[in-house]
Amino acid sequence: MSYPLKLSAIIELFSGLSDAEKRETLISYADQARLQEPKESEQFDLEDVRKDEECTDTVAVFLRLDERGGAHFRVTLGPQVQTLTRAMSSILCKGLDGITPEEVLAIPADFVPKIVGAELVRLRSQTVYYLLTRMKGVAKVWLQRQRQASLGMEVLDKDDAACE
Amino acid sequence: MMSATFTTNAMSIDSNYAHPEALVSTSWVSEHLKDESIRIIESNEDVLLYDMGHLPGAIHIDWQRDLQDHTIRDYIQPEAFAALCSKNGITPDTTCIFYGDKSNWWSCYALWVFRLFGHDKVKIMDGGRDKWIAEGRPLTRELPHFPATTYPAPLVRRDAEIRAFYDDALAQSCSKLPLIDVRSPGEFNGQVTHMPEYPQEGVLRGGHIPGAHSVPWKQAVNADATFKSAADLLKIYQSDLGLKPDDEIVAYCRIGERSSHTWFVLNYLLGFKNVRNYDGSWTEWGNRVGAPIEKSL
Repeated sequence: MSYPLKLSAIIELFSGLSDAEKRETLISYADQARLQEPKESEQFDLEDVRKDEECTDTVAVFLRLDERGGAHFRVTLGPQVQTLTRAMSSILCKGLDGITPEEVLAIPADFVPKIVGAELVRLRSQTVYYLLTRMKGVAKVWLQRQRQASLGMEVLDKDDAACE
Repeated sequence: MMSATFTTNAMSIDSNYAHPEALVSTSWVSEHLKDESIRIIESNEDVLLYDMGHLPGAIHIDWQRDLQDHTIRDYIQPEAFAALCSKNGITPDTTCIFYGDKSNWWSCYALWVFRLFGHDKVKIMDGGRDKWIAEGRPLTRELPHFPATTYPAPLVRRDAEIRAFYDDALAQSCSKLPLIDVRSPGEFNGQVTHMPEYPQEGVLRGGHIPGAHSVPWKQAVNADATFKSAADLLKIYQSDLGLKPDDEIVAYCRIGERSSHTWFVLNYLLGFKNVRNYDGSWTEWGNRVGAPIEKSL
């Protein structure tokens, strides 16, 4: 499957970089992580705030759907969240911006090592996959709610419980 | 050239530790950033944290990239250690001051590896990176450069003195000598095979080495990541657990970093003489064919 255009551009950017340059670029993205936090006036369709077994601090994922059905993610990260996870939050908020929740669910995770590079994919760096999993989880819950609403159902499943 | 006398440190480090000189305070480090007789070394779990900002003049030693052999599960050989020190401007007389994230887990680990190679002039900055930042002290992204030194390759790696292997841990278990499991209670009990908040990292079975005592590393630190007082530590390890200063003790966790922290506490802060770190830890024991396991569910 091909990646969304914005994510493809980021993958393309990283693919031409040496490991050292990838490292520097990841730090730049990590520096920008705060820009992906929710703005004061923003309203969201779904919020998922939790600290769980895959990350070392609280991570909140916010989803807003525009009138065309495009997804826009915002993320807040606790102070102990690792730098690679911060970088991935910037990359994913930008790279997935505007695609549909169905497209979010369909994105394969195999682009992550292409961005992070062989040097940094190792023990205790696996949290680079964490944010994509969380974003997919939010997209899945939103789609389930839409389906349930269209059927007039009020049933919440297990995945739904984490989102408010 | 300034000399490292460590005198201004006395005010903030508990003088009742067996070796209070093994710790330096953040304020002491702040006053010695340009001291040529020391080298400040950051060692973290977060692989990019040093790049995001570090103490002025601090070098970065990565537990995996710099200290571990990449072709065998072991530490680097003496020649590689000498090369690492040389390129970072460290001589055998340099006092290495370690600090890092995670309440100094990885700085204790790096310090322990330096000790394996006989580099005994080592200290920990109490409270680590978090305390430095909490106090509003400066960080920089500027990379320091030091002239290369000639660091003679150590003749041996002192594994026998401070490192335990599987057979040592098994013998310790069979002899009912003190084994300290410093992981979280859930890992010790066998309920989980990883730390809370961490991903599973490839351990097949949960539990602990038969006869091991559960004393999570975290009991030894305060909320600000500094070490607890000598009195508090003596209560935990001596009064409550019953350890004696001459006991032969083996500490382990999952991959050896949290147990390095406890090794530092027992060895330097309490002065226990025969403490070894089993760095193979649970990722070796929990996967090893034939290794006995206890659970306490």
